[in-house]
Amino acid sequence: MRADPTKYYPLIPVYVAYLAMFLIGSNMTGMWQLMAMLAFYCALGQAFNIFLGMTGYVDFGYVAFLGVGTYGMALGITKLAHVEELGIGIIIIGLALAVVMATLLSLAVGAVALRLRGAYFAIATIGVNEGFRYFIEGAKIWNGSEGMIFTAELNQIFGRETASALSTFWADVLVLIIAAAAAFVTLYYMKSKIGYALTALREDEDAAKVMGIHVTKYKIIAFITSAVFAGLLGASAWALKTPYVFPPEVFEIHYTVEAIIIVLLGGAGTLLGPLVGGLIYGLSKYYLSIVLPGFQLLIFAPIIILIIVFFPEGIVGMLKNRVKGTALEQYVL
Amino acid sequence: MILEQLIGNLIQGLVLGAIYGMATMGLSLIFGVLRVVNVGHGAFIMVGAFIAWWLFSALGVIPILAIPVALVIGLALGFIFYYSVLRRLIKAPELASLLATFSIGVLLEETAKLIFGSEFRGYNWAVGKITLPMTVLPMTKLYACLGSVLIAVLLYIWFNKTRAGTAMRSVVEDSEGAKVCGVNVEGVYAMSFALGIGLTVVSGVLLTMFIPVGINPYMGGPYTLKAFVIAVLGGLASPYGAFFGGLVFGLIENGSYTLFAFLPGVEPFALTRFFSCMMLLVILLIRPTGLLRAK
Repeated sequence: MRADPTKYYPLIPVYVAYLAMFLIGSNMTGMWQLMAMLAFYCALGQAFNIFLGMTGYVDFGYVAFLGVGTYGMALGITKLAHVEELGIGIIIIGLALAVVMATLLSLAVGAVALRLRGAYFAIATIGVNEGFRYFIEGAKIWNGSEGMIFTAELNQIFGRETASALSTFWADVLVLIIAAAAAFVTLYYMKSKIGYALTALREDEDAAKVMGIHVTKYKIIAFITSAVFAGLLGASAWALKTPYVFPPEVFEIHYTVEAIIIVLLGGAGTLLGPLVGGLIYGLSKYYLSIVLPGFQLLIFAPIIILIIVFFPEGIVGMLKNRVKGTALEQYVL
Repeated sequence: MILEQLIGNLIQGLVLGAIYGMATMGLSLIFGVLRVVNVGHGAFIMVGAFIAWWLFSALGVIPILAIPVALVIGLALGFIFYYSVLRRLIKAPELASLLATFSIGVLLEETAKLIFGSEFRGYNWAVGKITLPMTVLPMTKLYACLGSVLIAVLLYIWFNKTRAGTAMRSVVEDSEGAKVCGVNVEGVYAMSFALGIGLTVVSGVLLTMFIPVGINPYMGGPYTLKAFVIAVLGGLASPYGAFFGGLVFGLIENGSYTLFAFLPGVEPFALTRFFSCMMLLVILLIRPTGLLRAK
């Protein structure tokens, strides 16, 4: 295949934004926490968009993949803490475990739920998420509802100072890297056969099938890719940043809904959308929690309803139509 | 001993199941007619629970008399949300209506929190109890059960004997065909949504008669999930299916809880919920039309 650099131009604004977030956070005092939060929401949107945006399927149980990713890192650290020569390698192992567990769960869920469509799929995924949480609590695996706390293990492996730097700095850097990687994969899929197949099936699954597209295969590809990024995100933004894991927290459906809002606000199925959505959502949540603490959801709910009713394409969706035919066209996707 | 406990709990399960069924009919009605899954379902149950609690503790109105109040408020909420939001989303992709109904649920929860605060509340309506062979049943639970059955019967009559009910059934069968035959489909959509919400709010009142504690703005979540399982048991689009699904679910829930409690080293409460989630998936896969209906 002939390499075409213009293909990757749309990544420029995305990466400029992530770099700016890193520079603002690391150079301006007091901004790192905010940037870290924004990075998390952007990464969440970017990862979820690969499935939700590209296929049009609504996965209400998406947070389960972040949950198992968190467990992957937690298990890696607690089970291997006594092996002294691992050092930083334990983080790599934790991330690998997160990927493996997210892949396995997404394969299992995909095999069951992706046979269903529309509302049935959405209901099934809620069932999977809740079911998995109650399985952990009910059968008391991985400490059941007591969860796992591994601050002590982290301190023991890395020493107090490095462990603290890990949770306040490196975990967030990892989130930014995940966001950037997810953006790259999104664009790669968009420009390849996978993207075309997914667009076809999003518009009309039956027609796509008749055209000879192996819809199940492409749905599974998008589902697993999206789940793997979610697992990595759980392992870094949750497990490393706050070294504990409790089932009710990591399977909280509100994170799924936040992810849906971000994707929809920015524009489902676009590359830039999750970034824009994540920034707007994160910033407004942050400032609302300062100005009107406790009222964020009360204000968000009607806004979301308004967006769904009046701007179903999202911000980037509208922007894309605006810049059509101008020089900006190849940067906005 | 196990058997006695099991039978006692199954009787309780059947009574609770009638309320579960009633609490799911609204969800199934709305899905059957509008093809919209009301993800904010539990929040409307919460509204009913607060109506019952407030009328009883502030005005001394007994919960049975709260039912008509809840119905009127529920119908009003239904019409408001239909005309302001859902009317525009009927033809939109699933994502839109799912997220819209979820947001409506959040809106109701947060409004309730603003008015009532987020602590748990309850009330005590003491009207005695009756002793059955294996178990003791408070009269309030019996009233709630009878109320559910009565409402289900009334709904059945309304569906089958009135013009409006017939129009609704025709839209469920084939909305295009109904339109061709001169049915005001738009009106049927509005009425079905309002009626579905009204039923759900009423079920919140009945539910507090069964479990008069734990009333709180966020109480609806678990009921949303249970309603999904029940609705799927009954075929998702059929209100009567939902009612019988509720009875079955009440029996299975209480039965499996009793049995799980005998397993060592597990949490029976969480495991029961896990079991119902698995049930949901299995039924969705093997019989998406529901257990009770022939294919």
